Amino acid sequence: MSEIKKSEKHYLTGKEVREIAKANQKEMRRLEKAKKRKIPQSEYTTEMKDEKNILEVENLHSYFFTDQGVVKAVNGVTFNIPANSTVGVVGESGCGKSVTSMSIMRLLQGPSGQIVDGSIRFKVSDFKRDEKGRFIPVYEKDENGDVIFENVLDSKGAPKLDKEGNPIVKPKQLLDANGIGVFEQEETVFDIAKMPIKEMYRLRGRQMAMVFQEPMTSLNPVFTIGNQLDEVTLLHVPGATNEFAKKRSIEMLNLVGIAMPERVYASFPHELSGGMRQRVMIAMALAGEPRLIIADEPTTALDVTIQAQILDLFNDLKNKINSSILLITHDLGVIAEMADYVVVMYAGRIIEQGTASEIFHNPCHPYTQGLQKSKPTMKSSGEKLFNIPGNVPNPVNMPNNCYFKERCSKCEGKCSGEYPAMVQVSPTHFVACHLYDNKED
Amino acid sequence: MFKYILKRIGISLLILLGVSFILYVLLRCMPTDFVELKVLNLTQTSNTGVTDELIAKMYETYGLDGNIVEGYFNWLTNVAHFDFGTSFISQRPVLDEVFNADRLGTSFFVAAIATVFEFLIAIPLGITAATHQYSVRDYVVTVFVLIGISLPSFFFGQMLKDIFANKLGWFPVSGMKDAGITYANAGEALLDYLRHMFLPILTVVVLSIGGRMRMTRTNMLEVLNSDYIRTARAKGLKEGKVIYKHAFRNTMIPVVTGLAGLIPSLFSGAMITESVFDLTGIGSYALNAMQQGDIPVIMTYNMFLAFLSVTGVLLADLMYGIVDPRVKLA
Repeated sequence: MSEIKKSEKHYLTGKEVREIAKANQKEMRRLEKAKKRKIPQSEYTTEMKDEKNILEVENLHSYFFTDQGVVKAVNGVTFNIPANSTVGVVGESGCGKSVTSMSIMRLLQGPSGQIVDGSIRFKVSDFKRDEKGRFIPVYEKDENGDVIFENVLDSKGAPKLDKEGNPIVKPKQLLDANGIGVFEQEETVFDIAKMPIKEMYRLRGRQMAMVFQEPMTSLNPVFTIGNQLDEVTLLHVPGATNEFAKKRSIEMLNLVGIAMPERVYASFPHELSGGMRQRVMIAMALAGEPRLIIADEPTTALDVTIQAQILDLFNDLKNKINSSILLITHDLGVIAEMADYVVVMYAGRIIEQGTASEIFHNPCHPYTQGLQKSKPTMKSSGEKLFNIPGNVPNPVNMPNNCYFKERCSKCEGKCSGEYPAMVQVSPTHFVACHLYDNKED
Repeated sequence: MFKYILKRIGISLLILLGVSFILYVLLRCMPTDFVELKVLNLTQTSNTGVTDELIAKMYETYGLDGNIVEGYFNWLTNVAHFDFGTSFISQRPVLDEVFNADRLGTSFFVAAIATVFEFLIAIPLGITAATHQYSVRDYVVTVFVLIGISLPSFFFGQMLKDIFANKLGWFPVSGMKDAGITYANAGEALLDYLRHMFLPILTVVVLSIGGRMRMTRTNMLEVLNSDYIRTARAKGLKEGKVIYKHAFRNTMIPVVTGLAGLIPSLFSGAMITESVFDLTGIGSYALNAMQQGDIPVIMTYNMFLAFLSVTGVLLADLMYGIVDPRVKLA
C-alpha cells in the first residue's frame, strides 16, 4: 500500500523530464518522417484476412508522446467491422475510444499523437488510374459491345476538324442519371497505418467519413452550410458541377430530416441549433456515400429527444447507402439499440467483445458487468445507483498486469500476474480476464 | 447599416472634440513654450535687452496670452472656418506645411511600401511557422523575427547605413536626392528617389515584420487546433486547401483589428528612421515642431492622426462584419 502511495505522489524531476523529452523527440521525428515519406502504392496495399469484413484493425498501438511520459492511449486493439453492420465501442472517458477512431481516420494531432504499431486494413473501391495517375473513364457501348465515338466540339458547338477536314472523334464517356461521367473503379485493400498521410485524402470523405462529438464547434464559422457541404461532393465526384453539388447537398439535408433545406443551405453554422448542426455534420459525412461511417459519440451533445431521432437516422441511412457504422459511445442504451457487435475497451485495450446480445445477456468481464449495473433503470428506483469504485489508472507506465485489478470486485491472486490473454467464450465472444482462463481448455 | 454608420460618425465627432480639447490643454501646459524659447534666443543673440512689453506683445501675437479654455475656443472657432493658423516657426499656413508632397508624401510613400512588404512577408512566414510548428523552419523564422523586433530603429538604421552606404556604397547615405543633380528624364528622377528610399523602407519593414508574423503564427496555431479544421481534414480536403481556405479566413479575423492601427500609421511617419536618414518626412518635422512648441502645427498634425484613428476603428468594425458572419452590425 505504501508503495502505491509513493508512486502516486511521485513528481518528475527536471532531469527525468529532459530525458523523456529527448527520447520522445527522437521517436516523434522518426514517426513523422515515416508519415511523410513517399512510397509506391504496392507497399501499403494488402489483403483482408476475412473477405466479409470491410475494416480489420489488428494490434493497433497509438501513443501520445508527452513530457510526463508516453501515454499508450490505444495499446494493442484488434477488432473487425463486417460489411453492412454496426460495431459499437463502449468504455468510460479516457479509455481510448476516440483515439481508436482518430487512428482509423489518421487524424491524430501530430507530432505528439502517433500510430506506433499495428495495421488497419480497409477495403475500398478506389478509382482505377492510368500510368499518369488519371482516372480511367467508362465508355458507352452499343449493342455489339463496341465503344461509341462522338465528335469533339469547339466552343461554338460545331464539330472540330483536323487538318485533312475530317471530324475529330473521341470515345463517349458513360454518364450516370445526373449527367456526371462514370469512371472505372476497383476493389483494393489499403493498410491505413502504413499509408503516407498525403494519400489519406483518397479515403477520407469518399470511403470513410466521421461524425464528431462536438457539433457546436465542428463546422467552420465563416462559411455557409452550403459551401461546406458542396465541398464534399465537388471533391469526391469527379467532374461534378456546382449546380450538381448544390442539388446533392440539398438532397442530403432532406435525407437527414432538415425541414427547410434551402434555407439551411444558405445559413451560417451559428444560425443553427446543436441538433441541426449535428444533422448537417451527418449529411456531410454521408454526402460522399462512404463505406464506413465513424460516429464518435454523435449524440453526447444533444438532448434525449434529438438523440433518438439521430440514432434512427443512422439506422435508416445504414440501410439506404449500405455502409457500416463504427459507433463510439459511453451510453449503453445507445449501443443496445444500434449495435450488432460490441467492443468494450478499458485503458487502451479491448477487454471484451462479442455480439450485442452476448455482451448484454452474458457479460463476462467484471468491468462490463459493472458498466451494466451502473446504468439507471426504472426497476432500481429508490436504491443507490451502483458505481465502479476508483478511476481509470494513469496511462503512463502501466504495469504488466490486468489494468482493472485495483477496481475489481472479483480480483484474485492470479490477477497480479501477467496481463490476461483473450479467452474465447463462444464463437463470437471473447474476454480478457483471468476468471475464464481454464474455460478455454 | 447606413444608420449604424451615421451613428458611429456622430460619436466619432464627439471623440475628436474631446481629443482636441485635451491635446490643446496639454500643449499649453508644456514647461517651455514657443515665446520663451524665442526670448531665450533673442537674449543670447541681440545686444539690446528684451523688455517685458516685448514679451507681452509676443504672447499676444502668437495667441498664447489669456487662459487656456479661451485659447481653445479661439482655435476651435478658427478651425470651424477652416483656418488652421500659421506655423510659428516658418510663418507659413499650416496646411501648406503639413500636407505637401515632401512632408506627408514622403512619409506616406515609405509607410505604404513598407506596409505592403510587411504583409507580403510576415503573413506567409507566420503561416509556415505555424504549420511546421517546432520544426527547424519554425525556430529559424522565430529567431530572426525576434531579432527584428528587438533591434532599436536608430541602431538598425545606422547599421544598414554604415554597411550598405558607407562601406559598400550601394546606396546614398542620406537625404532625398543626390546633391546638385539634374535629371535627364522623369524615369531617372524616380530611380534616384527609389535609391534614396530603399534603406529607410528596409529598416521599417524589418522592424515591423516581427509583430505581424507572431500574431499570424499564434492565430494560425489556434485555428489549426480547432474542431472545424479536423472536420475539413476528415472530409478529404488536401492540406493546402485546409490551410488556405478553412484556416486562413479564420486567421484573418484578428488581423482585421490591425487595420484600426494601420491607417494612422501610414501617415504618422517614422520619426526616428526619418531622422537617421535625413528624410523630410512628417515624422521628423512633427518632432521638431513639438520641441519648439509650434502649437498650430502640432494641433493640426495630431488632429489629423486622431481623425485617421477614428476612421480606422470604424473601418475595422465594418470589416469585421464582412469577414466574420457572426458579427452583425446594427
